Amino acid sequence: MISEYYGRRVLVRRDQVAPAGVQVLATIKQQTSEIYCLRCGQVTPKESAALPNGEFYCPRCINLGRVSTLCKFYHVPEPNQFEVTSPLLTWSGKLSPLQASAAKQVKEGMLNHRRQLLWAVTGAGKTEMMFSGIAACLKRGERVAIASPRVDVCLELYPRFKAAFANTDIVLLHGRQELPYHYAQLTICTTHQLLRFYHAFDNLVIDEVDAFPFAANSALFYAAQQATKGDGGQLFLTATPGKYLLKEMRQQRLMVTYLPLRYHGHLLPGIKLHLARKWRKKLGKVLLPPSLVRMMRQTLAANHRFLLFVPHVADLPVVARACHHYFCEAKFTTVHASDEERLAKVQAMRDNDYQFLITTSILERGVTFPEIDVFVLGADDGVFSTAALVQIAGRAGRSLSRPVGHVGFWVAGHSRVVNAAVNQVRYMNNKGRQCQNAMSAL
Amino acid sequence: MQCLLCNRQLRFELTIRDLLLPTKIVKPLICDDCQQSFTPLTGQTTCPGCSRPQEKSVLCLECNKWRNAYPWQLTHHALYRYDDAMKEFIQRYKFAGDYRLRQIFISEFVSAISKSQVDMVVPIPVTEQTMRTRGFNQVEGLISDLPVNRLLKCRDKEKMAQSKKNRRERLASKQPFILTNEAAVRGKRILLVDDIYTTGRTLYHAADLLYQAGAATVISISLAR
Repeated sequence: MISEYYGRRVLVRRDQVAPAGVQVLATIKQQTSEIYCLRCGQVTPKESAALPNGEFYCPRCINLGRVSTLCKFYHVPEPNQFEVTSPLLTWSGKLSPLQASAAKQVKEGMLNHRRQLLWAVTGAGKTEMMFSGIAACLKRGERVAIASPRVDVCLELYPRFKAAFANTDIVLLHGRQELPYHYAQLTICTTHQLLRFYHAFDNLVIDEVDAFPFAANSALFYAAQQATKGDGGQLFLTATPGKYLLKEMRQQRLMVTYLPLRYHGHLLPGIKLHLARKWRKKLGKVLLPPSLVRMMRQTLAANHRFLLFVPHVADLPVVARACHHYFCEAKFTTVHASDEERLAKVQAMRDNDYQFLITTSILERGVTFPEIDVFVLGADDGVFSTAALVQIAGRAGRSLSRPVGHVGFWVAGHSRVVNAAVNQVRYMNNKGRQCQNAMSAL
Repeated sequence: MQCLLCNRQLRFELTIRDLLLPTKIVKPLICDDCQQSFTPLTGQTTCPGCSRPQEKSVLCLECNKWRNAYPWQLTHHALYRYDDAMKEFIQRYKFAGDYRLRQIFISEFVSAISKSQVDMVVPIPVTEQTMRTRGFNQVEGLISDLPVNRLLKCRDKEKMAQSKKNRRERLASKQPFILTNEAAVRGKRILLVDDIYTTGRTLYHAADLLYQAGAATVISISLAR
């Protein structure tokens, strides 16, 4: 079927004869000592890309099927052959006034094919805010994609979009997808899969741009760029924009919409820094930083619960031993990514069976406990990125019943990464204050 | 430097030995975890005919069947067990076509081959069709620059791969090879090289051709069993 080639680059053997109406594109550009992959845009030295007989392949994007000089691409320019059935938007939820104004801005940007960033704090309801914009684009017969670096985000988005756009054909693409590809107006896929497309989308949305493990690297933006039509629009959604997006913002190549307040209208809890010199060495003597112990006591005395983050799995037992020493009566446990009882322990924390959890950065996204405080011991360790630290801080103050919370980072010295996180929260809170003032003036 | 298999950062430290002695410095290609996921067959009791791991060092049931089918017996040596880790490796190297991955086993495979006392090393060939799509012969990739005699050729331009058949179909498959130079084989000791030994069908076909042309002895080696 020729529709399979619409706006895509499909790998075929070099010696095949192209059907009528199909363009043939090259796969690899050879330079003097390197090869340049025309699918993923990455450069590989010839010696690690060589096949026998003077052929080359790209080892970088091999997971999507090998691009080599033994094959070629079939491509048909995107014709936008869609039948639009109304009503398009079958979602009946309501947006808060703040969300609605952000949604309006996003919609306008999408209709004008802008390159824009929706910077919304953790837990602001980003998905619902793009619905009206996407509906307007689909109505004009545009092809739209929603991509994310994480499969689980895609898997979670798909049913929500199916419900919200019940009359539109949607295709879900990711590495483990077993259903074959078909031409659809709305595509939900991982950012990897975008490399299979070429000038296909009039509007491309990328959710959670800064999510691990493909956090906003140049490969991701290359994939996004070549999947969008030359005059197409892009929308990035994130709570923690990384270096690249911030730079694009400063250079005004990106239109920004802020949503600096949470759904309950409160600011993010500010991050407090504490100095803890040689904390690892002192842990060996079963000593925690005194300020940390004080904060923990305070939280427990106020009958609140907290999460204590440490950099490495190896730190968990040592910190737990020290906590036993200081808080012999408290109920707590440790949990990490490959912990077999991970789910049970998280559930027990939800059920109020524990007063605190000591954990590594696995709980940075998605896991929500109400009314908690958040402490990070060794926040300046290399494992924590700015985005991760902002996400960790964003675990606090999520519920309406206690919209504020304490967030403390214990560091051994000054660290750019930590300061950037503190500044990001401060920046959003400044924006948030402006919003609050504007709303109270109404 | 990253592990070729799991992309984890590799730590590599020079030892004083590396600095002082004029030996070649061998950088690791894969991390320790990946290395340990493979199961070496060396040091285990195996069938002398086909390297199948078993309790006693006697011919296994399958090798006995081969013995009845042919007047000679192939002695096969395999380096690793064909378990999940090896299957995954073969999948990525051979079927996904990641040619870089051959480096992981090259030195080990080559040294095992050079230890055997033979006159010529003959790799199992791939079809022209495979050469056009895959771009390499996975067996020759594993032995790198070792001098080989490409005496075997595939009979058909296209053939159904053994890996796509079940056991019975595999065993029933007909001679897939032709010998390009019969005279070169006469009276020679020959080592056949393949990537995986599953039923033995492919290697027995190849060895049969060589014996018919008058080879003195034929033994075989594969990366996995």
